[in-house]
Amino acid sequence: MERIKKGLTIFAFFFKIGCFTFGGGWAILAQMEQEFVNKRQIITKEELLEMVAVGKSCPGIMITNISLLFGYHVAGVFGGLCAVFGIISPAVIILTIVAQFYNAFKNNYWVHAALIGIRAAVVPIIGSAALSLGKDALKTPPAVVICLIAFVLSLFAKVSNILLVLLGVVCALVWWFYSKDRQQKEKEA
Amino acid sequence: MVYLQLFISFMKIGFTSFGGMSMVPLILEEMSSHGWMTAEDLANLVAIAEMTPGPLGINCATFTGMQTAGLPGSIVAVLGVLMPAFTLTMVIAIFFEKFKDSAVMRSVMYFVKPICIAMILGVIVTLSRETYFGEAGILFFSVGIAGLMLYLLLRHKWSVPAVILSSAALGMLFYGVLPMLS
Repeated sequence: MERIKKGLTIFAFFFKIGCFTFGGGWAILAQMEQEFVNKRQIITKEELLEMVAVGKSCPGIMITNISLLFGYHVAGVFGGLCAVFGIISPAVIILTIVAQFYNAFKNNYWVHAALIGIRAAVVPIIGSAALSLGKDALKTPPAVVICLIAFVLSLFAKVSNILLVLLGVVCALVWWFYSKDRQQKEKEA
Repeated sequence: MVYLQLFISFMKIGFTSFGGMSMVPLILEEMSSHGWMTAEDLANLVAIAEMTPGPLGINCATFTGMQTAGLPGSIVAVLGVLMPAFTLTMVIAIFFEKFKDSAVMRSVMYFVKPICIAMILGVIVTLSRETYFGEAGILFFSVGIAGLMLYLLLRHKWSVPAVILSSAALGMLFYGVLPMLS
């Protein structure tokens, strides 16, 4: 009973956070810090940062990963599920409605004209996101080379994206085994 | 079974991306290979997902599922994209301490992140072809809007919703009012 009550409280918190956040994961994270670290002191800032580090390096959506880690930390598996469904529910409800409107209005003369304008802005939006991601991901020369190889493979050799990511994971594992092996040999020598 | 296909597609997208814009290339690939969506729809979707609250990946999954197979479609798509959280992250949550500083995950991210950037660059190329070239050649107004918005985003740190709203207004002006006058 205690657990269910905790779970529902978590759901309500995350639902609220999910309602008012634009601009993706980092904005949501700032709200989590305000609500759980500063106001309610459920976790410390260090714990939240650890959750971010782990959530970021798991595949999938960063913020749902972090929500799951937080929910689990407070109220086990049920808490984790409550946090995830809480944070996604507003988005699912809103987008369901928006999708209906989109279908009804996309062929309207003025909506159509506005959408051509909006589409022109999507490439710069994605481009500026790529720039800020690139600052973090392309810090070292090998990373830049990996990026270039992947770009050429995807654009000119038509290698599918999923295959590219899988290739990257395989290379990473090979590299990890190799460097671990070498470290061990260095230790022995 | 369109529901099963949607679920599997979004599960693949979830497991091979890291949220945000890194999902867009994978969504484009899955959508066009199933014939569910055109590149034009995808560009609209990115704008809509940026304008509405919530994580981009969830917004994209809901919208795509809705377009493809209605409300049940949107639910299975969202569950699909959440599969990494429910499986891998759940396991990690249970063994949290051991994963805190995992050398394997660090090495995987070192390789996968640059690949994600490359995929995003690929999408920029594809979308540019679709957006700035019409049947009559280069769409100069669209190129103009793009240049202006890039400037506002990078130099003046405009927020994405502000950029989308002003390009909607410019779109109405150039592609709505102007054809009426001529």
